[in-house]
This record gives sequence, structure tokens and C-alpha cells, in this order.
Amino acid sequence: MSKVFYDKLIAFEKIEKEIGKIAESKEEKDELIRIVDEYIHHRMIGCILEKLPKDHHEEFLTQFTEAPHHEGLWNYLRKKVSEDVEGFMQEEVYKIGRELLEVIRGKPKKSS
Amino acid sequence: MSKTAQPIHSQVLREKLKVKNLILRQEITLKHGHLNNDLLSKALNIDKLRQHSTHLLGAGALAGTFLLAPAHQVHALPAPQDIVQRARTQQAIAPVVSPQKILIDSLKEVLPQKPRPLSRVEEKSLEQIFSDVLKVPSKATLEGEHLNTTYGYIGAEQHLVRYPGDTMASQVGNDKTLWKEGMAPGKGAWGYFAHSKAELTPELVETEKWYAVVQTLYLPDWNTRTRYLRDWYKYRKVMIVNTQNGNAVVASIADSGPAAWTGKHFGGSPEVMMHLGGPRYKKGAVVVFFVDDPENKVPLGPIEYNKIQLPEWAFHQV
Repeated sequence: MSKVFYDKLIAFEKIEKEIGKIAESKEEKDELIRIVDEYIHHRMIGCILEKLPKDHHEEFLTQFTEAPHHEGLWNYLRKKVSEDVEGFMQEEVYKIGRELLEVIRGKPKKSS
Repeated sequence: MSKTAQPIHSQVLREKLKVKNLILRQEITLKHGHLNNDLLSKALNIDKLRQHSTHLLGAGALAGTFLLAPAHQVHALPAPQDIVQRARTQQAIAPVVSPQKILIDSLKEVLPQKPRPLSRVEEKSLEQIFSDVLKVPSKATLEGEHLNTTYGYIGAEQHLVRYPGDTMASQVGNDKTLWKEGMAPGKGAWGYFAHSKAELTPELVETEKWYAVVQTLYLPDWNTRTRYLRDWYKYRKVMIVNTQNGNAVVASIADSGPAAWTGKHFGGSPEVMMHLGGPRYKKGAVVVFFVDDPENKVPLGPIEYNKIQLPEWAFHQV
């Protein structure tokens, strides 16, 4: 299992289906899957660093890079962040999903 | 009024996402200049992080850090034959012995509540249980190869196009329940099953019908041993066991996926999913092991192990 601790929040099945429709080869599909993974990851890390007090950034990233899958990272974040960690990360996931679908499907054009 | 949006071309999407990633990365780096550059770079490299987590989980490493409590404890398991025997004994007081119930009860003793990579001990126990109850030789590690996880969530896949010009009608005929999923827009990871309809053998028909999807794209050595692994995994037989109801299928690997960000770890053809959980089954926890079948004797499709064995006294009483 290739796992990062926040994976449980993400279930972008529709996006995978859309990528399957537009990718012209398996290699292209795999590459797009990786680029989407990178995008989601940057957004998640950005979101965490935004909410986590500066003093704990280095400690968190050290823990995370040592064991990216570790469920204990949730406990760490719950202790150090005053807000509902799962809540704001879930919100971010929702935004990412919507934005990605918009990029893939394109914005519907308005006509008069 | 709004017009339907035009689908994006794959190259345009690729470029757009790459630019977005670059901008995001720059923003994070600029905003958090107080952080050590190397540490931040490491934390943003998702490919390397996934590889690292695969290694840790595969090695059964529980806690590598000083602050984090162990993610999961591998509990000591009783011997697999004891687990099956206990389930059989409990069943013996009931008038009818159901192998499926024995399997479900045995799985409950071995498996953790939520899917996660299993330890070697857990996998060995399961191999023994499957051999005892399902009578199919299966292994978590076969010829040195092991999936990133053997216990995870399976999701419903579409039919795969078998040859150029293949249609749903020629694949599933009038069976409307199997039409629902439709046909995947692209080919499977190994391309067409045959170059033409004429070259499609009955074996290949079965291969597509009972196909499985595994995450070869995340195998840690996929990039270094690509050619060997691609051949090794092509149409490799796996046994998929629904851990909730004990339904089991032998399938052949014919595609790679799903993406890690789908919340799933395996995929099954419409026929596989139908047998594992019925027409509404879209996602569920399963164990996936390789079938040890060097002589190609194990057929693809459902494993019919649940023939009820009536005890001898039942016949006398009738």
C-alpha cells in the first residue's frame, strides 16, 4: 500500500474516470495520475502549514517525512492545531476535487 | 443559458497541472522561508514519500519516529489450523456446516478491523486458511513478488475493450446488469487482448470477463524492473476474497490502478464485482493473493467452495 496519512479523506473516483477518458495511452494516464497526486499533496501540505503554528512546522515535516503513512500524525495535528483538523482538511479536499473537475471538464461557457 | 464544456486535451491538462504545481510549490516555499529547504523539498516530493511509505509498510515497520505512537499493533495469532478448527467446532453444534461461515469466522480472527498492509505472519495464516477452506493454492508472495498491500478496498471497474471494434453487445449480450458499468474508454494496461475478433480465444474471453486491477504503478521497483514486472503481472491469476461475506473469485490481472487518491487499492471487472457482492456492490474490503498455479489448472471465475456438507446422521434421520 502506498499510503500517506491523509489518503483516507480523498476519494476522487470521478476524476480518475475523466482522466481515463482523455488519456491516450496507459503511460499518459499514469503520468496524469501522478501529476494530480502531486497537486493534491502540495495543496494538503500548504493547508496544514497554514493552520499549524510556525513553531511546529519543522517538527511536523520531520515526522511526516519519516513516516508519511503514520496515523499518529493525526494526533499530532489535533494537539497542535486549535481548529478541527479533519474538518478543514476535508474542506480543502472538497475544493481540490471541484477545481480539478473544472480544469478537466472545462468551465461551461455562458451564452446570451 | 450554458453550453456544454469542451473536454480538455490530455497534453493541455498535463501542462496546466504542471504549471499549477510549480506555482503552488513556489508559493509554499516563499511563504515558509523559515523552513529548511531540504526538509521542505522532501516533504513536497509525493512520489518519494509514497515509495518510502511502501517500504516501511512492507517491512512491517510500525513507528520510525520518536513522537508517534505505533499506528497498529500486530496481535499474536493462533495457528491457522486452530482458527479453522475452532470455527468448524463452533459450527458442528449447528445442524448444517457451512464452509462460508467457517471462512468468515476465521477471517475475523486474523484480519484487523480496517484494511492495512498485513504482516507476514498474518499473510501466512491466511494462506493456510484459504488452502483449508477454499482449496485454492494461494500466496501473498509468489516468486519473490508481493503487492503493496494484500488487504484493501476493491472498486468496480468497467469492461475492457478486447480488440479493435469490440462492443458491449458482443461482450455481454443482453445481460443488462452487466451493461451498467459500460466499457472503459481506453485499453487496459496491456493493450488489446487480441488484434482482432478472429484472434480472440475462449481463454482471452474469460481473462477479460474475470479481470482484476492492481496498483502496479506504485510498486517500489516498477521503474527499475519495468519490463520484467510488466510481463510477470500480465494476466497473473489472483484470488480475491470478500472479507465480509466470504465470496471468492479467481481473476487475472489485466489493468493497473486505481490511483492512490481514489480511496481504493484494487479493481474488479463487472463480473468479478457481481460475484463478490451482487449488482449493487461498488466498493468493499477484500484480500488479494496470487494463485500458485504453475500448471494453469485453476480456472478463472467464482470459487464454488460453499457446497453444504450434510453430516452423515442427517441422512439416517431422513
